[in-house]
Amino acid sequence: MATASVTTAGVGTSEQYNYDIVRKFAIMTLVWGAIGMFVGVYIASELAFPFLNFDSAYITFGRLRPVHTSGVIFGFGGSALFATSYYVVQRTCQARLFGGERLANFTFWGWQTAVALSALGYMFGYTQAREYAEMVWPIDLLILVVWVAYLGIFVGTLMKRKQPHIYVANWFYLAFILATALLHIFNNLQVPVKLFSLESYSLFSGTQDAMTQWWYGHNAVGFFLTAAFLGMMYYFVPKQAGRPVYSYRLSILHFWAIIFLYMWAGAHHLHWTALPDWTGTLAATFSIMLLLPSWGGMINGIMTLSGAWDKLRTDPVIRFLIVALSFYGMSTFEGPMMSLKDVNALSHYTDWTVGHVHSGALGWVAMITFGSMYHMVPRIWNTEMYSLRLINVHFWLATTGVLLYIVAMWISGIMQGLMWRAFDDFGNLQYSFVESVAAAHPFYVMRALGGAFFLTGMIIMCYNMYKTIRQGSTEAHAGLNVATA
Amino acid sequence: MSQDKTTTTATPKTTGHNWDGIEEYTNPLPTWWIWGFYITFIFTVVYWLFYPAWPIGDKFTKGIPGLHTITYKATTVDGKEVEKTTHWNMRSKFMHEMNEMEGVQKQWFDKVAAMSFEDVSKDAELMQFVNSAGKTLFSDNCAPCHQAGGQGKIGFSPNLTDDHWQFGGTHDEIQQTIVHGRKGFMPAFKEVLNEQQITQLANYVLSLSGEPHDNAFATAGAQLFKSEDAGCYYCHGADAKGNTQMGSANLTDKIWLWADVPAKSTQESKLAEVKRVITGGLDRGVMPAWGGRLKPEQIKLLTVYVHDSLGGGK
Repeated sequence: MATASVTTAGVGTSEQYNYDIVRKFAIMTLVWGAIGMFVGVYIASELAFPFLNFDSAYITFGRLRPVHTSGVIFGFGGSALFATSYYVVQRTCQARLFGGERLANFTFWGWQTAVALSALGYMFGYTQAREYAEMVWPIDLLILVVWVAYLGIFVGTLMKRKQPHIYVANWFYLAFILATALLHIFNNLQVPVKLFSLESYSLFSGTQDAMTQWWYGHNAVGFFLTAAFLGMMYYFVPKQAGRPVYSYRLSILHFWAIIFLYMWAGAHHLHWTALPDWTGTLAATFSIMLLLPSWGGMINGIMTLSGAWDKLRTDPVIRFLIVALSFYGMSTFEGPMMSLKDVNALSHYTDWTVGHVHSGALGWVAMITFGSMYHMVPRIWNTEMYSLRLINVHFWLATTGVLLYIVAMWISGIMQGLMWRAFDDFGNLQYSFVESVAAAHPFYVMRALGGAFFLTGMIIMCYNMYKTIRQGSTEAHAGLNVATA
Repeated sequence: MSQDKTTTTATPKTTGHNWDGIEEYTNPLPTWWIWGFYITFIFTVVYWLFYPAWPIGDKFTKGIPGLHTITYKATTVDGKEVEKTTHWNMRSKFMHEMNEMEGVQKQWFDKVAAMSFEDVSKDAELMQFVNSAGKTLFSDNCAPCHQAGGQGKIGFSPNLTDDHWQFGGTHDEIQQTIVHGRKGFMPAFKEVLNEQQITQLANYVLSLSGEPHDNAFATAGAQLFKSEDAGCYYCHGADAKGNTQMGSANLTDKIWLWADVPAKSTQESKLAEVKRVITGGLDRGVMPAWGGRLKPEQIKLLTVYVHDSLGGGK
């Protein structure tokens, strides 16, 4: 059946599966990846060299930072999730997307509009100032409608599956879609100031508002950036390795453990604030209990390769997937440690947090996306990757970039934490705040350099993909038939 | 479903499911994994015994009594010093750590408070303390405007390391400046004087610091400066040396605060800078009051730091 779809690839609706929508989202993954990461490198450079603000309000760190986060999380990550989830759910259910072309296309245009409008809005100062949910309320509503359509398509496709069971990747995708809907709705409960005003008041106030915000923020990491990408991992790792998933039992157990435990952990972002102590304690302990369930995904992914370790030497796509899992394992170890009150006393408010986020975002989310895209793109365009050598170059640039980034942030973060708490023999604070800023400067330069490595890899990927897609389209027009499945 | 040719018929059994060529082994849970999971449960329960953990109604569990306590000293609203021992909580931990460091600081602050400014500045050991505490106090409170070393920024904040003090450079005057803040003001002359008069005054002001100027204009400007028409001398004095009582600038000391003359290279652009200030006046020379924000002994220490360590008005 897979080969049947291949022969008619590029002919639109006559395909067995709706690949058109997958292609659209795949292209936007690349576009947003390049834009979002470029903005990231730019704001990292602003922190190291403030003249880059050029005295323009539109491009200051405060306004560009949400452009970066929205661009990479919702633009790059979101598009990658739409693309892969539509691809995976169709192939593992052996069913064409529920709801037809129109509904799927609506999710595409709706989502892209939402991300583009929010990014532009941030530059002009329109924000509701909730981290990772800065979109003003009309965009929140647009996202909500798109998301309900997405849920409908996904569940509808699952229901018309020709397989008796639902594949584990789809559990994770479904959990991600449901949880994101829940988080998005509750974190954005607000009352507009006026009917035609973009400003609004949050329904919650004070500490409760902060708690809602971080319940959202942490679970956005948990469900959007972890569970969903585990779904991606569960399809593309066994597929690329050509090996069965290591343990079915482990996948069930770690799935339900993650789903149950994640929702409790958000308050660890609010240690050492006005949040009551008991709330932080619960969050810290649930974070600790999350360690092994998180690792369950890593074990299942890495052990799937057991018996085919040689592929790490020969297949750069596998290398991306396995290194992604390693960074996933590392940051899901680091996270629970940082959630402990005493460790957090050192790490909170420092660059260590920034480094932790990026070891997850670059090391795990972006790397697993790169690997999956390198697997999927040639298949949906019915061709082969233009250059394996460029994938390899991308791999080394990305890995070097992440390492530079997180090492820089570890050093500067721990240094900041230690400087802020240092006292001298007179009982005076040993350092002023600005001294810690000056001390961080070399590491800000190093971080920007790491980001530049990562961005360069992303641009090389775009070029490689462009050549691949061109090649696929040309072959389709020439009536060639390259079997890939 | 097309059968994936790479699928091996290896020893572990598969579940029999097959999705798009993907199968699953029935491998058991890794032993270390399941034991690791249990250990995190144990850790969790132990953690709950040490810290506030579970909400019950409007109360919450506080861990095992006596297991993880914090003792701190505090002053009650009616001024009594009390020592409290509580279950672990953020505020107590903060109080405890502050008690500890304030205890170390206290003996030194007490000495500063008891001695005169002059005696403090002559006591080498005490000056070590002043410099250590002053550096951080200055950096966190003053440096945002006066810059890291107190060198100020033309067009924004006065230099504290030179010999000129807008509002006076004695210990007492500096202390008063810190406690109550200052507000500098100069009216705009664009409605009062014509373009030519402003040009004459500006040339005069440049001549006072030996900057390049037009002699004829400067001479006319000198007359205007002391005339009732412009009335500059009301504030800046007939000798143009300013008045620390009202914070008017000394125009003869080659120190510039609002007109960035040193940064301009040509005679015309220097003139334009001075004219800009005379034309538009100034109403932004505001220093906030620190009296309510810092403790008296901290302000006293900062006064000594600014006066004696930054190398200002001896």
